[in-house]
Amino acid sequence: MLLRMDNIVKKYGDLVANDKVNLTLNKGEILAVIGENGAGKTTLMKVLYGLEQPTSGTIVINGEEIQIKDANQAIKNGIGMVQQHFMLFETFNVTENIVYGKEPRKGVFFDLERAKRDVKKISQEYELPLDPERGIAGMPVGLRQRVEILKVLYQNSDIIIFDEPTAVLTPQEVKELLKTLKQLAKMGKSIIIITHKLYEVMSVADRAMVMRAGEVVADVRIEDTTAEELSFLMVGRHLIEQKIPEKEVGQVLLNVEDLCLADEHGSTILKDVNIHVKSGEIVGVAGVSGNGQTELVECLFGLRKAVTGSISLKEKNLFNKSVKFIRKAGISLVPEDRYIWGSAIEATLYESAIMGHYAKPEISSKGMISGKKAIEFTQQIIRDFGVKAETAEQTVGSLSGGNAQKLIVGREIKQDTPLLIVAEPTRGVDVGAMEAIHDKIIEKRMNGDGVLLVSSELSEIIKLSDRIYVMYEGEINGELFKETMDEEEIGVLMAGGRKHAEN
Amino acid sequence: MDINSMYIAVVLNSTIRLMTPILFVALGSALCNRVFIFNIGLEGMMLTGAFFAIVANHYTGSVVLSLLAAMISSMLVAWVAGIFMVKFKGAMLVVGVSINVLMLGLTTFLMQILFGVKGAYVSNDLVSLPKVNVDFLAGAPFFQTLFGSLTYLDYFAFVVAIILYFYLFRTVSGFRLRSVGLNKIASESLGIKAERIQIATITFSGLLSGLGGSLLTMGGVTMFAQNITSGRGFIALAAGTLGSAHPLGVVLSSSFFGLAQSIGNTMQNTAVSSQLAMATPYAATILALALYNYLQIKRGANLDQ
Repeated sequence: MLLRMDNIVKKYGDLVANDKVNLTLNKGEILAVIGENGAGKTTLMKVLYGLEQPTSGTIVINGEEIQIKDANQAIKNGIGMVQQHFMLFETFNVTENIVYGKEPRKGVFFDLERAKRDVKKISQEYELPLDPERGIAGMPVGLRQRVEILKVLYQNSDIIIFDEPTAVLTPQEVKELLKTLKQLAKMGKSIIIITHKLYEVMSVADRAMVMRAGEVVADVRIEDTTAEELSFLMVGRHLIEQKIPEKEVGQVLLNVEDLCLADEHGSTILKDVNIHVKSGEIVGVAGVSGNGQTELVECLFGLRKAVTGSISLKEKNLFNKSVKFIRKAGISLVPEDRYIWGSAIEATLYESAIMGHYAKPEISSKGMISGKKAIEFTQQIIRDFGVKAETAEQTVGSLSGGNAQKLIVGREIKQDTPLLIVAEPTRGVDVGAMEAIHDKIIEKRMNGDGVLLVSSELSEIIKLSDRIYVMYEGEINGELFKETMDEEEIGVLMAGGRKHAEN
Repeated sequence: MDINSMYIAVVLNSTIRLMTPILFVALGSALCNRVFIFNIGLEGMMLTGAFFAIVANHYTGSVVLSLLAAMISSMLVAWVAGIFMVKFKGAMLVVGVSINVLMLGLTTFLMQILFGVKGAYVSNDLVSLPKVNVDFLAGAPFFQTLFGSLTYLDYFAFVVAIILYFYLFRTVSGFRLRSVGLNKIASESLGIKAERIQIATITFSGLLSGLGGSLLTMGGVTMFAQNITSGRGFIALAAGTLGSAHPLGVVLSSSFFGLAQSIGNTMQNTAVSSQLAMATPYAATILALALYNYLQIKRGANLDQ
């Protein structure tokens, strides 16, 4: 065995990012470490690469226990990392980037000629062609990644960590990369690939280690598992049975047709998304996070400009309109991250509670906010939504995550709009708060309004939704109805299953 | 030798003498730019060197010890500034301005304590920097005037510029220094101690500022006056930027400011109001920076197309 990480624990204050994690790696093996955002994969790799120090636990390489205090020591011990965000110097050329940190010298001088020869040699040896003199600026992402890989090979690493290597690549580049990974493994390199794309795991890895909430929940050989099983292990499958009363659905509220979105480099993020939400209906958007759900919500709410398509609410055009216009037209939003977008962590409860309400007569008149009215308004939310708080004047940051979330959910439901979008409403909240938030979402539906629920928590989606769309790589990969909902099928769709079967 | 070319020789000679203190500090500023540090404290560091050169001069009467005192004192101040800027992540502007205000006050105060004078300290016991003898140029009065009354340290400023050029662009250590300014995170990911390089660079910029400062107090005149740098550190900061943080570019930009100051000095002897004449180098600084940025923006716009 080449590498062993034993009982790795990493705590940040109270948060346990890695809880007694064990990892093993053999020579020439490709290990996929998979899990959702925040599952602790990246933290584990930072520990291995010396960027973070474990709270406890040991690392053994070639039978010898070692301490990795910084990246330098990791490199010395044969560990290299291809980071998700490339670590390149734009104004330096390929050679300078590759030999950086281990430059060939002539006395104190930089021996550029030898550096170029060395780079050419390893680029031929590993069949990764690159012009050593080309500048980095203007280089496509796939080639930049190749520079990163050559950099690690130049450092003579035996263990190469790839952190979400395909996140930024085009499908062709992904194919190339997977081929390269296999080639490197065949040449004796050991590879750890961090990802949440199951298709890649199934096609390239020898073994998969699944992480969830900081713990290893499974360590399986690829031939003994399926993509569906892995996707369930990733998102968890504990289901809470709860009867949700029947409700007649009404007219179509939100209608999205052929929505397409690209990022600033022109890569596709959303492709021909067609969804609708009727009144009296909770519609779930399921998927492993990072498949375009976040961006879809941003488009619907005017936070991002889509390329083509149409978005309408009760036949009113909302495509690429401003957030203010969209809110006024009748959509409210509980955003994905309660502290980054949902509230101001240093502000008081009432300041965060009146966001979006401040211009209404209940709160202000003639442009002046009435502190008394704002506090009354906040106290009403605190009562109605069961927020555990001492006063309306304490800071949002002093509340627990669940209570802060209840405050935000309350604020948005109080907008009383025909459509409510909730993104990851119960991420990181305790069970009690989760139940309370779910009840409020159901209550909203019983009032005859529509709810679009975006969540990477599959159990939540299955519990609440009347209808589910499954997203995979920016597309709607399937639609399921409550009556005929089948967990297995969702798993297949989330893993991109049906789509690849068709190909 | 006609009077006009003599006049040119005089102006050029004074340009060189006025530019070298700026050049030392501007090279320090350029190095700081290369590691992504905006070292506004250079003015205070220069003042520190200028003062402690005279202190050592007063007590020892040795040129070498005076220069050493200048370099060490301003290096220490720069090192402290570097620790605050890099290690404690203090806002560079605030740290820099604090250094400037602190050193202005401290040197004024210490001057009173040590020399018992206010405003300025002059003494016949003070030694000045040795000048390079150019008597062998007696046959060419133009060159004799051009290179006349320059100290060894004036020449050394140009040597330092050339050494730094080779250091930055030819050595491994210089390569790493540049990389820190380009992408600190990337350099750290490869095990380079970026913060150590940043602090070392700031400290070295202090050493250069000390040399620049000692040229002010032991070069043309030998004296210390309150706030004797009077903004030269800031002009050097501009020269660093204007020279694209390239040692040879900095020689050019410093010579531009030297010329502006020389012209300003000459104008004081003419009918132009002396206040206006004194403002010339500073006005030139603003104009040059504005023009430089304008050209940069235009070039950027062209690249976009």
